[in-house]
Amino acid sequence: MTVYESDLPGVGKKHEIDLPDGTQLVVVTHNDGRREVFLRETSDSDSEKLFELPDDLARQIGTILEGAYFQPVQSQNIETLLGGDTLLEWVEVDADSPIVGQTLGESDLRAETGASVVAIERGQDVIPSPGGDTTIEAGDTLVVVGTRANCADFESRVTSA
Amino acid sequence: MAAGLFELGQVFAVLAISGALALRIGLSVIPLYVVGGMLAGPFVAGRFGLPHVPESEMLTILAEVGIVLLLFFLGLEFSLDRLLAARSRITRAGVVDAAINLPLGIALGLALGWSIVEALLLGGIVYISSSAIITKTLIDLGWIANDEADPILGTLVFEDLFIAIYLAIVASLVLGGTSAGLNGLGRSLAIAFGFLGALLLAVQYGTAFFSRVLDVADTESFVLRVLGVVVPIAGFALSIGVSEAVAAFFVGMGFSTSGHRERIERQLTSVRDVFAAVFFFWIGVGTDPRLLVGVAVPLAAAVLLTTPAKLLSGYVGGRVYDLSEHRALRVGIGLVPRGEFSLVIAALAAGGSTTVMQETIPALAVGYVLVMSVFGTLLMQRSDAVESVLARFLPLGTDA
Repeated sequence: MTVYESDLPGVGKKHEIDLPDGTQLVVVTHNDGRREVFLRETSDSDSEKLFELPDDLARQIGTILEGAYFQPVQSQNIETLLGGDTLLEWVEVDADSPIVGQTLGESDLRAETGASVVAIERGQDVIPSPGGDTTIEAGDTLVVVGTRANCADFESRVTSA
Repeated sequence: MAAGLFELGQVFAVLAISGALALRIGLSVIPLYVVGGMLAGPFVAGRFGLPHVPESEMLTILAEVGIVLLLFFLGLEFSLDRLLAARSRITRAGVVDAAINLPLGIALGLALGWSIVEALLLGGIVYISSSAIITKTLIDLGWIANDEADPILGTLVFEDLFIAIYLAIVASLVLGGTSAGLNGLGRSLAIAFGFLGALLLAVQYGTAFFSRVLDVADTESFVLRVLGVVVPIAGFALSIGVSEAVAAFFVGMGFSTSGHRERIERQLTSVRDVFAAVFFFWIGVGTDPRLLVGVAVPLAAAVLLTTPAKLLSGYVGGRVYDLSEHRALRVGIGLVPRGEFSLVIAALAAGGSTTVMQETIPALAVGYVLVMSVFGTLLMQRSDAVESVLARFLPLGTDA
């Protein structure tokens, strides 16, 4: 990727980025922090303005593009990074899981792993904020919140036969 | 007291209305501020017996602050390092621009039977493009993201440096030279360059001082400290016969390296814009529309000669930047608008001692800026039509 930077005296700075399809993205950063984003079909065509953002919004969207603000994490289970190191994870309970038939309280998973179950998906139904007396059935999907380590611990206890 | 306050109120009311009108019709505010001043001044409103804004000392001083801040911001944006980094191309495009347009204006002045100093003033007026109008139009049209923006802005930077040196020389010629003969001229040039040299040294070695002066969190103190340094230095310069505008330019250069440039731009841009608006208004107040009629012939000649000259010099400048013919032509079109600096030169000329300097040049400059600011902006907005018209007459290639 090639990025060309040039000064725009009295205006700000201009960055031109070559995109893989041969077009060019042009970002003009004004001295007041405003960003204008243009697309150029070929290097000699006129720039077409795509959008304009104030400084704070541009930064926020920048971090999203960068992947720092919100990031879907690739793994065999579905999990979502909430911020910091906290995950929202979906854990399936299969028939030979040791916790089938136990209530959440009996399984004592929260005390043991630090991760807590915030919802249970059962077929078409969802049980929000299940209490300690909710019985876990085979085929349930537990929606779990905890740190990455908590969640990993939780998952291994649920799946270990 | 009451009368003064009411007059100032009229100034701002007229400026506000002119600005609203400019926004509505999509034109630069500069010509409308000037026209607003003309209509509200003694020569139009005054002549019809309406309440009008007289040419008062108060208005002149506020307008002076406008000039000082315009040039201060120019210095602020002007970085010697930046110029040196792109020197070969900027210099070539800038030199072409100066070599074509400045002599053309001087020749026109001489053809009108004016003295060398008077012709030199006209040269500057037709040479220097308007940074304010052009930059704003570039942003409005989205050209700012195109390749033509670089040579256009580069040429403006070169012009800015040129105008600083030019004003330093011309100010001593106009203010000091004519009254006291050749000796006096030598002395006033020596004073000017002595003072500006000292200022330049202060700027070069005073970065630490400028940084410390501006190192304050409070916004109000920050703004006041900037004004508290710039305005007194500019005023002192003027009191010893040196261009206040150039002094302000150098102080701006000093502040630009202090690490506070962006904060100054953020917090003083509106202050500059207010005083600059008063400056344009003041120019209008001092302009008798009947004098404009009197300069119609030289005005028409200046417009007809200098528009193609800018198109040509800009085109050549664009080619120096390796642009296609299509984009190089846009550089030419983009440099046509004239504005604030032509009026700064006109204001300087008005302090001279001959009738040409006191009346003809200011009237000509006002008419010229009114035409070129509007005409230049329209050319930029309709650049496609301009290109197709030019393509019919000129053997432009097809590498666009």
